[in-house]
Parts: sequence; structure tokens; C-alpha cells
Amino acid sequence: MKRTFIFLAVFLIVAFFNSANDLSAIENEGDKKTEKKVITACDGETQVVLNDVAKDEVMSREKAQEVAAMLMATYQQQKKYQSTKFTRRDSLIWDRELKAMIEEGYKWFHDPSLGTNGISCDMCHPDATDTHPETYPKFQIQLKKIALLRDMINWCIENPMEGKPLKEDDPRMKAIEAYIIWARAKQDPRPEGKTLNPGRR
Amino acid sequence: MPKMPSERKEEQYLKEREEFFKKLPKLNRRQFLKVAMASAAVVLAKNSFPPHSFQLVEAVEAKQGGTEVKFRFAYISDTHLYERKLNERFVRAALKAVQDVNALDPQPDFVLFGGDLAQLGQAEELKLGKEILSELKPKVYMMVGEHDWYLDLGEKWIELFGKPYYSFDHKGVHFIVLNSVLVDDYWTDTKMSPMDRMKFMAQLDNPNGRPFTVGKGYGDVGKKQFEWLKQDLAKVSRDTPIVVFSHSPLYKYYKPWNFWTDDAEEVQALLRPFRNVTVIHGHTHQPVFHRIGNINFYGMLSTAWPWPYAPTGLPKLTIKMNRADPFDQFDGTGDGTVEVLANGKANKVYNLWSREPMKVTARYLESGGREEVPPLPVDPSF
Amino acid sequence: MSSSKHFYAVILFFIAFVLSFTFINEKQASSSAKVTYQVKIPLGIPKDLWELFIPPDNPITPEKVELGRKLYFDKRLSVDNTVSCATCHDPKFAFAENKKVSEGVGGKKGARNAPTVLNAMFFEQQFWDGRAPTLEEQAKQPIINPIEMGMPDHDAVVKKLKGIPEYVEAFKKVFGGDITIDRVAQAIAAFERTLLTGNSPFDRFIAGDQNAISESAKRGWQLFQGKARCITCHEFNRSNPFFTDNKYHNIGVAMNREGFADLARKAEMLAKQGQLDKRKLDELALDPAYSELGRFLVTLNPKDIGAFKTPTLRNVELTAPYMHDGSEATLLDVIEFYNRGGNDNPNLSGEMRPLNLTDQEKQDLVEFLKTLTGEFPKDFPENK
Repeated sequence: MKRTFIFLAVFLIVAFFNSANDLSAIENEGDKKTEKKVITACDGETQVVLNDVAKDEVMSREKAQEVAAMLMATYQQQKKYQSTKFTRRDSLIWDRELKAMIEEGYKWFHDPSLGTNGISCDMCHPDATDTHPETYPKFQIQLKKIALLRDMINWCIENPMEGKPLKEDDPRMKAIEAYIIWARAKQDPRPEGKTLNPGRR
Repeated sequence: MPKMPSERKEEQYLKEREEFFKKLPKLNRRQFLKVAMASAAVVLAKNSFPPHSFQLVEAVEAKQGGTEVKFRFAYISDTHLYERKLNERFVRAALKAVQDVNALDPQPDFVLFGGDLAQLGQAEELKLGKEILSELKPKVYMMVGEHDWYLDLGEKWIELFGKPYYSFDHKGVHFIVLNSVLVDDYWTDTKMSPMDRMKFMAQLDNPNGRPFTVGKGYGDVGKKQFEWLKQDLAKVSRDTPIVVFSHSPLYKYYKPWNFWTDDAEEVQALLRPFRNVTVIHGHTHQPVFHRIGNINFYGMLSTAWPWPYAPTGLPKLTIKMNRADPFDQFDGTGDGTVEVLANGKANKVYNLWSREPMKVTARYLESGGREEVPPLPVDPSF
Repeated sequence: MSSSKHFYAVILFFIAFVLSFTFINEKQASSSAKVTYQVKIPLGIPKDLWELFIPPDNPITPEKVELGRKLYFDKRLSVDNTVSCATCHDPKFAFAENKKVSEGVGGKKGARNAPTVLNAMFFEQQFWDGRAPTLEEQAKQPIINPIEMGMPDHDAVVKKLKGIPEYVEAFKKVFGGDITIDRVAQAIAAFERTLLTGNSPFDRFIAGDQNAISESAKRGWQLFQGKARCITCHEFNRSNPFFTDNKYHNIGVAMNREGFADLARKAEMLAKQGQLDKRKLDELALDPAYSELGRFLVTLNPKDIGAFKTPTLRNVELTAPYMHDGSEATLLDVIEFYNRGGNDNPNLSGEMRPLNLTDQEKQDLVEFLKTLTGEFPKDFPENK
């Protein structure tokens, strides 16, 4: 108990002293325009990049404590799994794959060929507006039962679009789901669009 | 997330309504009707939120001279027709609007068509639209939308319906119809086919989309139109009420979906000297209303489908319709009428097919939303 | 902190703890005291639903149910002793009837087909237009409807029953007092709350028996939820297994009546202009198509013109003919009606559209609907 406390305190002090670290030294993806605060632990390696704190901002005591805990967790994680440390190459692949899936979904979302009457998803849901993926599962009034997002996608294909529903493991279905979730999380400025809220009407 | 005042009011309304209905079980139908009418009168007197269909809309008016209705015109907009064999749904909706207008009693003086008759600007679609609208009993004035224009840059439209911008006078009011969907040339350099050009334009959430203008755009179409507009307005006295029809909103609402006119300020400046100006626009497929300076703006409903409200930029005076039920193809869609008053102002009625109708008055807009507040939507959100 | 403070806190907490228990126990005791009647709840209806739907102001007792049953089958409730509740809501036809529209005293015909009483306690409102919020309110109306049971008014009903000694005694026993029209309605409603139906082949299928229904019926169930779009109004799920959304829809049946379209336009115009007062309604009521305005007559909302309540589908095989006016003779006729997208009219719901069902699909839907025929009470001394 006492030992952990001292450990934390040490990190905290380190965190405060490191607040003026140089950002350009950090190799990481991200926005170069806004400089973010980077905290390095006493081992000189373990780092935490703070998205919500500006480079020159002095953190509150609570925030600093939180950062110290994060540093410690990261430190322990790296000690344990040093062999599986992720590289830039790893994240490059992941990002590209995610982007490809979302683009695939974007394509189908704008494609009337899922239906038979010329209507495509985007005609009622530009930028996937009013798809609220964060509210699923919920009781879907049109289906009269608890539905997942994919059930409502199929419902739209079958009803307004007058097409044939997709199988649940159809790659098109997965891609559409991926696009909707991405589009809402990225583009909806309203905070409720970013918080999971199953069952919300 | 703090609630919009309109949401709070609606909750309050729903609560009142529920309590009202809870008290009813003890009454038979005749008694119920009596109570319903009586209570409608009471809430109206308190300037609270009466159920729309009980609302005695006409009774509130005529307090001031000149607020009596001089004439009415109807509108139908954004039918987005495909060929009949591909899509019956939108044909059904357009026909429903025509039936609605023909059943109006008294008949409106004329009908405005608000643009986007076709979905992809094809000759068959435009011809089908013309055929459907020819069933209308009153005279029809046509306005063009981007879905009608960008397959052949207006060639077929002009052949079927004549000039895309023009003006006319009716009972002392000067009406102006604009082609407000002009954009700069995105197709020549990219070697797009006419259909590619059309589809590029037809996608509302196109990240590369171009903003609409009245006086700019490709070639000199916009410049000529702007010159014409200046000259047309020069002939009109400043006391003459002016009603402008534009497909896009003649203000800036939300650029990513082209709920937007890029040179809106320049057009508004031309209209500034006039005492009474009303702009009626299509494109946004939703009840939306706004006031800038001396101009009242009203958006029209689509017969085909409702667009969601944009995430930002919604004019403050707008009272949002609740989200429509996608199972009901008529929910959130409809047509409407405009009442032109003797004093030159214009009120607008949104005839929502599966919902309570909504009437928005010039007075509501001009009082900054303090007077003649339209009843808030009571239909559920889906 | 001093230890005495600690001590008092513990004592206080303990007292609160004990009190909370007595509170909960009391609550449980009162809820179980509400229902002293045991009813067999058939498979397919959630066990707790029945008790939840018993109104607290009309608890069920065996004596009340017995009295209600007598009243339900008693033709003396009508003006000329020829019509009882059971005349139109007949156990033989799953508590509905096989006539197009109901026939009351003197063979007078109504405008609507009698809906079933089975499971009616679970519906949000009663009557095709939902003008009665409870079974109690419903029970009172046909007795004094001139074309149904024809009694001049409720006082006359009470007076007539007071002349029958066995009723005077029974009401005293059940209610501890005199006969009143409210008590008559309460007794009938209590009896109706014992009229449940379930345990159909479809219920057994939903409960897990894959062999309970045919392959054709299984395809029909899929169509019911999908292409045929039935389930949107005929709601079915574990918490509401009654095949109705308890809402009102204009599917165009009202167009069967001549002049309906004009009447609908007129009513809509008056309602939208806020001019629909009693006098205007009485004027409209002269139109023979008046009752076809449906739900509108209750809400005065233009969107309810020609809208009628979604009926349950349980035992639908036994309750032909169909629709609120009995205009469709067979299940296949009903499916054909929906397949063409209903009857066009100015207020047709946007939920209606042509379905393009094949003959096989229509047959599968009929097969599915037949699996909804379940068990229900049939053996009554009066019903021989």
C-alpha cells in the first residue's frame, strides 16, 4: 500500500518536471498542427501523449495523478509484453485496413443496387445522419423487437429500398456497419453521438 | 446535453395531453367531444399549446388592418421522380400532392413547383413529372432544381418548361423565380460523362460537392441571371411586396449538404430596399424557417422523403419536426399553401401528410419568435 | 470519531434495515391480496402479464366472475330479451361471430363486425375506434345502443335487473350493495378477464417445438415479419404476444362505403380549419359513411380519418369474415387486399404499398395464420 503510494508520488513529480518535453521528438501519427503534452517516465522511454492538454498547460493535481497511473500501467505493460511491442508498420497496416473497410461501406451506403427502386441509404441519411448506431441494441418500433444496427439496415433495404435483405455475415453488411459507426463518431458534433447508449430512443 | 426549449415545451405538452385524456374514461363520445372542444378553447385562450387540429387558426388573425388573407397559392416540391417502372413510390407521392391541391376549397390562385421534379434529370423523368403536374386544376409555375439540371445543363427542362428564371405579377405582388443551383464547372477537366456529372450533383453528402449560387457558376449563366434580376427589381416600387422562389435556401444553413447559397448575401442585398420580401425555397425537404434583415424565409416539404436536420447551422426560429417513421412513406413529407396577406406579408402552412399540419406566420418570424408561436409538434419521434 | 457516535449510527442503520423489510413484505402482501382468483394462463402469455392487467379498482373474485358470466349470456339485458353479449361475441366463433356485421334487437344491422373478446383485456382500448379505454366502459355501451341491445338508458337496465331476485342477491354478495350500471360492467369485465387464449401450435413453436408447425407455416412466419410487412402493425413479441400494436391505421377498407372519399375530405378540411364543433359533427353524422371515419371520431385528428384498430390475429381462422366491416370473406381475400396495397383513398396510410407476393407466399401466410388457432374456454352451462 505504502510502496505503491510512494511509487505514484515519484511518477507524479516526474510528470510535473517533464511537462516541457519536446514534441517533435515523438514519432507518432497525429496532428502536427496542435501541439500536445507529452509526459515521459523516469526510465526515459515510457511516454504518454495527452490529447486534451496543451503543451504548455499546467495540469491539475487530479489530472497529474491520472497521468501518473497511466504511465505506470504502460510501463508495466511494456515490461510484460516487450516482444509484442507495436511498430509504426503495425499501425500503418491497421489504419489502411480500417480505411478500406469504411470506404467499402461508404460505397454501398451510396449504392442503390442494394434495393430495387433507385433509393440508396444516403438519400435519407446523408453522412449517416439519424442512424444513431450508439443506441443499439434497442426495441425497434418497426421490427417490434430488440434489434441490432444490422437488423435495421436490413429493414431499410427491405422496406423503403424494396430490396432483398443481406445475410448477417455478408461483407457488404459488415462494411456498411463499419461506415455508419465511423461516420457518426467522426462527424456528429453532438456529444451523445459518441457515447454508447443502448436502448435510447 | 441541455434540452432545446422546444423539446421541453413538447414534453410539457405531451404531459398535459396525457393527463387530459386520462380524465376522459368516464365520458361517452358525445360528452368527450364537448370536453375536447371546451378544453381546446381554454388552452387557446391561455396561448398555450393546443392540439393543432383544434386550433382556431383564423380567429387569431385580423387584429391589425391588412392581415386578412388576400389570396393563397399552393406548392408542391422535390418529387424526385424516377421512371414509373423503377419506382412507384415517388409517383404515388406526387399524385397524392396533386389530389391534395385539387381538393383545396377554395382553390389556390396558382401552384408553385419548387424544383427537383426528376431524380436524375432524365427526359423520361421530366416528362412523367410534367404529365403528373398537368392534372393540377390551377395554373402551375415551374422552378428548376439541381436534379433537373445537371444531366444536360437544363436543355430538356427549358424545352419542356421554358425559361429557368423569370418574374410575374399577381394581385399586386411581384413574384420572382430563380435558378439558384448554379455551380462552377467540375466536369470538363475531370472528363465526366453527363450521367457522372448528374450523379455527382445528386449526392447530398458529396465531400467534393460545389456550393450553389445565383449569380456565379459555370459559363455566364449566373452572371446573366444576376444582371436580369437587378434590372427586373429596378422596375418594381419599394412598396410592392416581393416573393422570391429559389430551389436552394437563399441563405447559409449547412454547406456540406448544400443547404446553402454561396452568394446569398449579394442576392439579399438586391432585395434589401423592399418593404416586404418573402423567400420560399425547396431542397431542404423539411419545415425550416428563418428571418434575415427584411426577408422572411420558408423551406418547402418534399413529397418524396424528409431530409434530417443538419447537425449545425439550423436557423434559430425553426421549430423542428420530430423524426419521421420510415415505415410510413408519407411521414415527414407533404405539400402546402402560402397565404399572402393584404399587407404584403406571407404565412406558410406545412401540410404534413401523416402529421399535424403546421402554420408559420410572418408575424412569428418578425417578432423574433415571440408572437404567434406555432404549436409545437406532438407526433412521436421515430 | 467517538465510539458512541459510531454506536448510534449502527443502531439507526439497523432500524432502517428492519423497517425496509417490513415495508417490502407489506407491499408483497397487498399485491397478492389483490387477486384471489386463479386462472389458467395458457402457453404464450407471460405469467405475470395477467395480474398486471387487472385494474386495482375491480379485483377478480370467483363470485364476481360467476355473476359476470351470467350477465354475459343473459338476453334479458336487451330490450326485448333476444340479444346477449354472447349473441355477437359467441364462444362458438372464438368469441366473435360469423356475420359480416352484427345484428342487434329486431334484426337491426350495425356497421361493424364484432371483434373477439378473447385476450381483449390486454388491449389498450376497446372497440374498432378505441372509444372505450377499459373493458368496463366497453361493456356499458352496446346495452344501450339502439341497434345492438336496445335498452333506452342505463337506469332502465338497472331497474330491469333489480326486478330479478337472483341478481339482487348476487350483487349484494359480490359487491355488498345494490345493482348499479358500473357494477354490472365490472362483473362482465371480470368474467371477460378470464377469457384467455393461447397454447396454439405457433405458441408451441415459439416455445421451442420445431415440429409444432409445418414448413409452409414457418415460411409464412418469415414472410409475416419480412416481405409481407404484417408484423409492423400486428405486433408480436414476448412482452406483447397478441398480434396487435394497439394503434389505428387507414388501410382503405372505409372506401367500401360509397361517398367516403368526399366525406373524408370534408372532415379533414373542417378539422384543419378548427371548425369541427358539435353542430358540424351532427351534420357529418347524417352521412351514411359517418361511422367509417373511424378513429377520427374519437381524436378529431385528420390523420385518424378512416383509421381502425389493428385487431389481434389469434384464432383468426375461426373469426371470418374479416376487417371492421366484415368485407373480406376469407384469409386469402385479406391477403389479396394487402397484396394490392389496400384501397386508395385521401388518407391512406403511407405504410401501405403493393407487396408482390407469389401464390405460394400467400398460401404460406394462410398456413401461418392457421397456426394461431389456440385453446380458449368453451364449456359454459349457457352455451349448449
